[in-house]
Amino acid sequence: MDTLLLARLQFATTTSIHFLFVVVTLGLVTLLVGMQTAWVLTGNPKWERLTRYWGQLYVINYVLGIATGIVMEFQFGLNWSGLSRYVGNVFGAPLAIETLVAFFLESTFLGMWIFGWHRLRKGVHLALLWGVALTAYASAFWILVANSWLQNPVGYEVRDGIAHLTDFGALLTNPSLGMAFGHVVSAALLVGGMLMAAVSAWHLIRRTPDFVLFRTSLRVGLVTAALAITLVQGFGFAQFGPVGEVQPTKFGQGPEAQALITEWTARFGPGDYTPPVLASVGLGFMILIGFTLGCVWLLLPLLFRDWVIRLRFPLWLVLLALPLPFVAVILGWIAREVGRQPWVAYGLLPTDQAVSPVGAPVMLTSLIGFSLLLGTLAVTNWVLLARHAARGAADPPLGRPPAPPTEPAHPEPALA
Amino acid sequence: MDLAWYALLGLFFGAYLVLAGYDYGVGLLLARGGGPAGRRATLTALGPFFLGNEVWLVAAVGILFGAFPVLEGELLSGCYPAVAGALVGVVLVTAGVQLRSRPTDERVRARWDRVVVVGSVLAALGWGVLLAALLQGVPREADGHVAGVSHLATPFAAAAGLAMLALVAVHGATFLTLRLPVADAAVVGRLARRLVPVALSAVALATVVGLLSARVRDAVQRPAVAVLLPLLLAAALLAARAALARRRPGWALVATGAALALPVALVGAALWPYVLVSTTDPGASLTVADAAASAPTLRLLGWVALPLLPALLGFQAMCWWVFRGRTDGRAPVYW
Repeated sequence: MDTLLLARLQFATTTSIHFLFVVVTLGLVTLLVGMQTAWVLTGNPKWERLTRYWGQLYVINYVLGIATGIVMEFQFGLNWSGLSRYVGNVFGAPLAIETLVAFFLESTFLGMWIFGWHRLRKGVHLALLWGVALTAYASAFWILVANSWLQNPVGYEVRDGIAHLTDFGALLTNPSLGMAFGHVVSAALLVGGMLMAAVSAWHLIRRTPDFVLFRTSLRVGLVTAALAITLVQGFGFAQFGPVGEVQPTKFGQGPEAQALITEWTARFGPGDYTPPVLASVGLGFMILIGFTLGCVWLLLPLLFRDWVIRLRFPLWLVLLALPLPFVAVILGWIAREVGRQPWVAYGLLPTDQAVSPVGAPVMLTSLIGFSLLLGTLAVTNWVLLARHAARGAADPPLGRPPAPPTEPAHPEPALA
Repeated sequence: MDLAWYALLGLFFGAYLVLAGYDYGVGLLLARGGGPAGRRATLTALGPFFLGNEVWLVAAVGILFGAFPVLEGELLSGCYPAVAGALVGVVLVTAGVQLRSRPTDERVRARWDRVVVVGSVLAALGWGVLLAALLQGVPREADGHVAGVSHLATPFAAAAGLAMLALVAVHGATFLTLRLPVADAAVVGRLARRLVPVALSAVALATVVGLLSARVRDAVQRPAVAVLLPLLLAAALLAARAALARRRPGWALVATGAALALPVALVGAALWPYVLVSTTDPGASLTVADAAASAPTLRLLGWVALPLLPALLGFQAMCWWVFRGRTDGRAPVYW
């Protein structure tokens, strides 16, 4: 096994796990903002209970987002030192901005939000959640700025074999960025909405207590998922134009792609410049799932008079459809990233020049170690999520009121 | 410009060691037992600060990538085992602390607590070895790459790792002395005082081994700094012990915090103007200026960082202020 393949496998593993958790983070936090805002505005305790229940799941899910995110960040230096050496001047900037502008604040706010129940004023506590959500979106934006630059390098010039930043504005107006950001964000909303609807459906199928609560979150989830799937489809198809223009080889074999490959062969020498077929296959299946999920719209009329609950089979459909959006986001990510091969920065830096010159044994140990570690943590995390989802909204640990300052349960005998 | 960013990088990594240092110290101290309630109380003391501490590492690596891309690639891949070890530790602590109380079974929680202990050990050792690797130089070849990873296996790196472990333990015990309810604080305060001599000996050992190592002597550009700062570190530890004896845990925490920040200052100042000193080819040593990103990138990041820094520090300070004081029966429990 060569180092390059091992490093690519490790990046794919880490990023896939990371992506499965961050889409849930981004989707759920948006819905949480709505719920807690409704609680603060209306004072209806239903919204507080919903915020605590879904907030609990959100916070458990967040753990793996951080854990895999830290590994991702270090992996650039550990396994892809060529990336920082040749294009670090440009590619590093949006990543640095992401850590400072977004992630740093997101986690600081979240710590205060978790421990701020019953301690901070309601408005401040709500503002913290808004802060978490806004910084989460900022995080997604800057990461996509960085990723889009790898898809379509812009705003740089090469001097002495190293890319230097010339126009940061070009990174922000990158044709690879706009629609992709909309696509990813709405996909996150879709995942959040589907997760909320499916967990609620499960409780309604089992007729657990808190019918009113889960009826509400089922409706919120379904409406969100329906709006989101339309946005996902819209932004998704809108990407074909810009992607075909800046990355002709990604999904096509047309004359532009052939012309580009001829040019690359002249500049970089002969080689296989077409991406693996995996990219197009992933894209095809993702589109299929996207159309299937579009059927969520058919469930919306059934919200009238709770037919969706009374008929019961729609609840099963929602529950069984839960894996679909997760599969779709991974396929979509494969289409975007594998479609960029054999380049790490499209048309600028071949992937095999970016890999760190470390030995294969070190890379293999790292791949096995981190995959096992993150895989185990991911499975553990999903088990915990499922258990907490099943436990119901009776008294989640998040936001539990502190013990009232009463007498100790067993008072000391006064005359002992 | 380079110097400002280098200082900022040092500030963030130093702040990470100071703040997450007590996370790992508290994590280590979970090993002393104390029953389920005691361990939960220990983690409750960490409480709201935990998430805000770890982010300093992410921000430090962000600055490393954005402002010193060449250094990022060479340092992390060149010291692969140390970085990966620390990273595994950080991941274990992050997941362990946040997930340990989600299962209700006390035996499962105890297992998670062991995960946190192991993670804390790995993180402390890993960062100690990484700082030692900088101080003893790396075999950077003329092609700009660090050759192999066996250069990490030296007595000095081992001693530095152990010193970091001891420092983190003292720091964690001091933090708990400040945060736990008065009755528990007395016990952990005695422990902190007993740990100070251990940390002093570990730091002394690392200093002596470093002075005896030809690689360290060759790599260090400013010997005066390299001798003075370990003395300052020892002074900080003695000050912490004195403050603990006088029941001034706040000042003690300032002192142990300084003890954790000083190694970063030591590495930065002793190697200046270099950041990676090559042990094999003097011409391949990397200066801070060469490691830095080109001027337009630094200028852009400067405009981002300038207005942002007060906000970052302000929100962290807000967290410390809101949740100041000792934990009691009404402190929010979540971890």
